[in-house]
Amino acid sequence: MSFRNFLLGIFASFSLAWGMVVVYPFFKMRALEPIVLTEAADGKDGLYFPKRAGRVANGAAVYAANGCYLCHTQVIRPTYAGNDLYREDWAGLKDNGEGLDTRRETNAYDFEGEKFAQIGVSRLGPDLSNLGRRVEAIYAKGSSPEVWLYKHLYSPRGPVERRKSDCPDFRFLFEEREIKGNPSSDALPFDVAEGREIVPNSDAKALVSYLLSLKKDDAVPAALNFAPAKKKADG
Amino acid sequence: MSQDTSNSPEKDAIVRASIDRSLRHPVMFFFTSGAAWLAVSIVLGVIASAKNHSPDFLSGCAWLTYGRVFPAHINALIYGWGAQAAFGVIIWLMSRLSRQECRAAGTILTAGHIWNLGVSLGILGILSGHGTGMPWMEFPFFAWPVLLISYTAIVIWSLVQFRVRPSGHTYISQWFLVASVIWFPWVYLTANVLLHCMSGHPVMAAGINAWFRSAILLLFFLPVGIGTAFYLVPKVTGKPIYSYTLAQIGFWSLAIIAPWTGMQKLTGAPIPYFPPYLGAAATVLIAIPAFTVAANLIATALSSGETVSHSPTLRFTLAGLVCLALFGGAAVFLNLPNSTLPLTQFSLSGYGFDILGLYGFFSLVMFGAIYFIVPRITRREWLSRRLIKMHFFLSVYGVVTVALVALFGGLQQGIGQEQFDQGWDNAAARATPYAIATTLAWCFILFSNVFFFMHLTLMWLRLGRRSSHPTLLVDSHHSSPHGPEGDIDNAGPGTAAASAH
Repeated sequence: MSFRNFLLGIFASFSLAWGMVVVYPFFKMRALEPIVLTEAADGKDGLYFPKRAGRVANGAAVYAANGCYLCHTQVIRPTYAGNDLYREDWAGLKDNGEGLDTRRETNAYDFEGEKFAQIGVSRLGPDLSNLGRRVEAIYAKGSSPEVWLYKHLYSPRGPVERRKSDCPDFRFLFEEREIKGNPSSDALPFDVAEGREIVPNSDAKALVSYLLSLKKDDAVPAALNFAPAKKKADG
Repeated sequence: MSQDTSNSPEKDAIVRASIDRSLRHPVMFFFTSGAAWLAVSIVLGVIASAKNHSPDFLSGCAWLTYGRVFPAHINALIYGWGAQAAFGVIIWLMSRLSRQECRAAGTILTAGHIWNLGVSLGILGILSGHGTGMPWMEFPFFAWPVLLISYTAIVIWSLVQFRVRPSGHTYISQWFLVASVIWFPWVYLTANVLLHCMSGHPVMAAGINAWFRSAILLLFFLPVGIGTAFYLVPKVTGKPIYSYTLAQIGFWSLAIIAPWTGMQKLTGAPIPYFPPYLGAAATVLIAIPAFTVAANLIATALSSGETVSHSPTLRFTLAGLVCLALFGGAAVFLNLPNSTLPLTQFSLSGYGFDILGLYGFFSLVMFGAIYFIVPRITRREWLSRRLIKMHFFLSVYGVVTVALVALFGGLQQGIGQEQFDQGWDNAAARATPYAIATTLAWCFILFSNVFFFMHLTLMWLRLGRRSSHPTLLVDSHHSSPHGPEGDIDNAGPGTAAASAH
C-alpha cells in the first residue's frame, strides 16, 4: 500500500465518524429552538424555554472545580437505559404534596445557563438532577434549604442516618472567625465556640445557589413528554 | 530497508549507534520525567482511591479534596506519564525504523520541557481549584494550546524522518505510530476547540468530552502501544510476525471502529439517539482489533518460548498483550445495551476499563520498550534482574487487581443502582469493598514502581553495568546475581560486539 493510500484511508475512516458523531451533532444542537406550545396538546399557547433562578454559572464552576461530577450524575435516563425514573425522589417527586407525580426524564432544556452539562462519571453518590427539589420538599422540610445544604457541605456525615456516606466534607468553603462587633448575617447555626462564627465563603454561596436551582421536574410540553398518559401519585 | 546500509553489518551498526546517540538526551528525558509523573500519579491515585472508602483521610486541606486529587491523578497519568512515554518511544522507533538520525534533539528537548511545564501548571491548576470539570480535560484553559504546540514540536520530526526514509518497506509499527501521531492532534484540537472556544449545547459538550476520552485511549495510547509491541516482539524473538494479514486487519479495524466510540457514556442523556448506540456498538467491536493484535503477537512470541522467560522486554510486552485481550473482552462485556451498559454506565467499571487500557496494556508495553531502549541509548546494561522481576510481578498483580476489581465491582454497584426499591445506601455500600481493594492494588503498583524508578534513575545517572551482555531474567548459578559480566565496556559502534544485539 502506498503512503498516499494509507493517509487517504485513515483520513476517510476518521473523518466520517468525526463528522457524524461529533461535528454534525454539535452544530445541529448548537442553537436549540424553543418548543412552541399549542392549546390542544399543552393546554396553553406560547413557548417552552425554561429559565433557572440562582447563580447557575458561578455555582457550576465551583461544582466543576471541586469534582462533584466524579460521584454525582445529573441525568435521569429513560427507562430503556436504566431504572432512574422509578426511584421515589430522583426524577422529581412521587407525590408533590398535591397528589401529582412530577417525575420525568432529563431533557435538553434542563441545562440552561451551563456551559458543560455535568452528566457525571460515576454514581458513588445519588443523582442530583432534582437535588434542589428534594432538599426543599423532603430534607429541609419546613426549615431553610440553604442552611440544610451548608450543613451538608460542612459535615456530610453529621446526621446519624448519613453516617455511612462517603462524601468528603467541604470545610474549606467556610470560614471560622472571631465575631467582631455584631455577628454576621451569614453566620450559620452550627456548634461553635463562644465568640466565634462560621460563615460560608462566596464559592459556597454560589454552589448552594446552584444546587438549589437543580429542579428538573417542571411540566414539559407534550412534544417532550414520554411518560405514559396517566400519572397517578401512587404509581 | 535500503541497500547501501543493510548489506554490511558494520555500517548497519554504525547507523543504529548514531541514531541512538542522536536521541539519547530527548528519549532519556521523556522516560525519566514520564516516570516521575507516573510516581506522582500513583501517589495521587492511592490518595484518591483511599478517599473513596475513607472520606476523612487527608480531608483537612482544600488541595487534597477527592474532587481535585482524582482529576490530578488521571491527568498526570495521561499527560505526564502516558504521553511522555509515548513521545520517547515514538521518536526513537520512528528514527530507527526510518533509519534517520535525529537532527532536532535540541528542539525536541526544549518542547519536552515546555510540555512538562504545561502539565505541571495544569496539575497545580486542578489542585488549587481551577479545574474545568471536563473529565480528562481538567487542566485550566491555558494548558491545551501549550500542550498542542509542544506536541507538534516533538513529533513533527518523526513524520519528516518518515517522509525522507530510504524508500522501501513500511513496517507495521510505522502504520500504527504514524496514524497515532496524526490522530492525537486531530482529536485533541477538536475537543478543545469545540469545548473551550465555541459555545455549543451543554449536553453535546459532555458528549464530545466522552468521545474525546475514548478517542485518546483508543486512537492514541492503543496504537502507540500496539505499534511498539509490533516492533519489540519480532525484534527480541528474531521471528517474523505470525501473520501479516492479521496485522493489517488489526490496523484497519481499529482505524475504522475506534472513532465511533465514546458516546455510549451518554446513553439516555438528551442528545440525538444514534451516537450512544453507535458508540456502544463500536466499543463492543473494539474486541476485533484487540483480539487480532494480541493473538498475532502472542503467537509470534510463543514460537520461541524460552526467550519469553529470559527477556524483560518480551515479558512485559506479552503481559501487556494479554491485558489487551482482556481489554477487548471487557469492551464487549461492559457495553451491551439493555444488558450491562445500564449497569456499568455510571460505575467503577469505566475507571477499571480505562486503567486496564492505560496501565495494563499501554504502560506494560512502554516498560518493555524502556527495558529495551535505555541500554541502547545509554550504552549501559540494567543493573539487576531482581529489580526488574519485582517491578514485573508487582505491576502485573496490581494492575490485574485494579482492573478486575473495578470491572466487576462496577457491575455489582450497577446492580445495586438499578434496584430502585432499595434505598440508595444499598448501592453505595456495594461499591465500598471494591474501592478498598482498588486502594490496595494501587499500593502494589506504587511499590512495584519504586523498583522501576530506582533502577531507571541509576541508568539515567549512567551507573548501569558496563557490559556487552544484556540483563536477562534467567538464573545462571555460576555467575553474579546481576547477569554475566561480559566485556568491561560496551564496544564502540561498528565492532562485532556492538552489532550482535
